[in-house]
Amino acid sequence: MTLDPYNAFLHREEAEGDWRVAVKDVIDVAGMPTTAASRVLDHVPESDAECVARLRAAGAAIVGKLNTHEFAFGALTNSPHFGPARNPWDLERTTGGSSGGSGAAVAAGLVDIALGTDTAGSIRIPAAFCGVTGHRPTVGLVPTEGVVPVAWTLDAVGPLAPTAEACRRAVEIMAGRPLEPSGAVRRVGIVTRLFEEADPDVAAACEEAVRSLPGKHEPVELPLLDEIATVTQLVMLPEAAAAHLGWLRTRLADYGADVRARLLAGLLLPSTAYLTGRRARSWTRSIWEQDLGGFDLLVAPAMPILAPRLDAIPSDYRLLLMPYNSPASLLGLPVTVVPCGFVDGLPVGLSLTGRPGEDGLTLAAAHVFQQATDWHERRPVDVASGEVLYTTDSAE
Amino acid sequence: MESESSPVERLRETAAAQGVHPTVEDLEGVRDFLDRILPALAEIEERLPPETAP
Repeated sequence: MTLDPYNAFLHREEAEGDWRVAVKDVIDVAGMPTTAASRVLDHVPESDAECVARLRAAGAAIVGKLNTHEFAFGALTNSPHFGPARNPWDLERTTGGSSGGSGAAVAAGLVDIALGTDTAGSIRIPAAFCGVTGHRPTVGLVPTEGVVPVAWTLDAVGPLAPTAEACRRAVEIMAGRPLEPSGAVRRVGIVTRLFEEADPDVAAACEEAVRSLPGKHEPVELPLLDEIATVTQLVMLPEAAAAHLGWLRTRLADYGADVRARLLAGLLLPSTAYLTGRRARSWTRSIWEQDLGGFDLLVAPAMPILAPRLDAIPSDYRLLLMPYNSPASLLGLPVTVVPCGFVDGLPVGLSLTGRPGEDGLTLAAAHVFQQATDWHERRPVDVASGEVLYTTDSAE
Repeated sequence: MESESSPVERLRETAAAQGVHPTVEDLEGVRDFLDRILPALAEIEERLPPETAP
């Protein structure tokens, strides 16, 4: 039995506060179980994760824990132990992941803000598939104490919410400082290849949306794009295996098959592979700074496809998504994803990637976009009643 | 003369040395993954400027 029609919540409570916040179930909330949608982990922490404590101190009501891919280590939200999160725009479709419960809860108006985590796209994918705004902060901006790690050098905690302004407020509270843009958006790099490789209808919606962005637009190529997905794997998999080593020794059979496979891959990669990955990250960063450092934003479709049906996930799903997610993950860059259109009744997202530490700029550009468009105000319809699930006023 | 162990057996030994005991099916999956990623890793190693530090 699920706690809501989308299987978004794994744990739900009544709470008093100025705004309703629910938290991906890899982030500790005092007195609520942390399971990571796994069979391995089930403890009730005595204290909040630092990011949750800061939100609570600012008036947030923490109303529950949200579904995730097992241990946040996958791009769906289909834990074999807790079942799939369902997309409010079409219950037969995935929310994406791993912060799929977060995307569903915001899209359905169950909360004002949901916290997610993003190691390799886990905020951006559900934001795009569920038609909400999501922000992956610069790595290190939001504290990760009290968060179950996937990969220490890639992990970021961030919000999903109806608007970029709500995301900005949440990030500022969690970061403990304001996010003033460093300046105006002047140069915008349009990542041509990621438009060309996306579903044509998705690409067309994104191309139309780009016209509402400020600044001078120029086509760009992302250096080393073909290599970055591999390098990200070389860094992420061994870090994840190291984080899970104790449980791999004692609870291996309790992991779902896909997560177990990825953790074992990380365990058995040669140790030099990890260092090659770290060296290749440094190399990539220097080339990106040289080639793209003059651009204030890099813009691309957030995802190349619409949310797939739960019973028809493409066999190459992860490979399809990697070029869209891996660069910002590997380089620790801030990305804001905004809803930018619909295809066949399903939302499409646009990603705005900034330089490290320029979270204020991507969020400001997303706010400008949302002042010029109304895609973020569209709401899914309740399947049973045919009524719109909620209005913008009740969500703000 | 010592017989050469299979790739899966070598993976099993490496995992066991770290206290982890996967099934043969698990190890075959890892072998397939390594078969795909190691050539890509070798290409990256070749292109990396030698002075690049982690």
